[in-house]
Amino acid sequence: MSIVNRAYGAQAVQPLPQLDKVAKPETDIGESFSKALTDARELDKDATSQAERFANHDPSVGIHEVVIASEKASIAVRYAVTLKNKALEAYHELMNTQV
Amino acid sequence: MPRVGTNMDFFTAMEVSASGLSAQRARMNVASSNLANAQTTQTAGGGPYKRKDVVLQSTDVPGTEGELGGAVKGVEVASIKQDAAPPRLEYDPGHPQANAQGYVAYPNVNPVEEMVDMITASRAYEAGITTMSTAVSMAEKALGIGK
Repeated sequence: MSIVNRAYGAQAVQPLPQLDKVAKPETDIGESFSKALTDARELDKDATSQAERFANHDPSVGIHEVVIASEKASIAVRYAVTLKNKALEAYHELMNTQV
Repeated sequence: MPRVGTNMDFFTAMEVSASGLSAQRARMNVASSNLANAQTTQTAGGGPYKRKDVVLQSTDVPGTEGELGGAVKGVEVASIKQDAAPPRLEYDPGHPQANAQGYVAYPNVNPVEEMVDMITASRAYEAGITTMSTAVSMAEKALGIGK
């Protein structure tokens, strides 16, 4: 055996180092997802109220502010949906593991 | 304006651009007021219309103090000042507003200057919209990571 090892220049197999336990994350995915949803809801409420005020001729609300508020709400919703998709994808990946 | 967490930091750029858009809109409004009143010889305060000028000042953006050290500034309209230049006197004795010497005081508005102001405001507004669209498309690109 040692002759073969020497002939092929192979190293003795090292045992794997003990894997550290993965530290628990400070927030879990559920929390970040619910925070993203809360943000999205806040921004959506803001966009709705700005649109209403603009429709009621409130001079302090410009047309760009209405569009920007709805754009922000749209981004926040898409962020929440992306988080959901990623979490679901990871879950499916684990569930479909071949044993 | 609700503040969302710092994980939505593209919103800072959007808020700054939004304040810029409001400021340029104010400049546009004032330029149109000046142009509309270029021939106005009578005002509530007496005398001809006086040209108005927008004074802009930078403001702090709420929520960015900790992270960006307050370096990012928005803009707001500080005040709208009257131009102190004297009115333009034109000889027109038949005019109902003519003074004893036959001169009519017209506003100190130069339409050419106002047009230039208007174009500047319009271009700055466009620049603000471009900043905004870029911030939005950056956020969208970030959401598309891994797709």
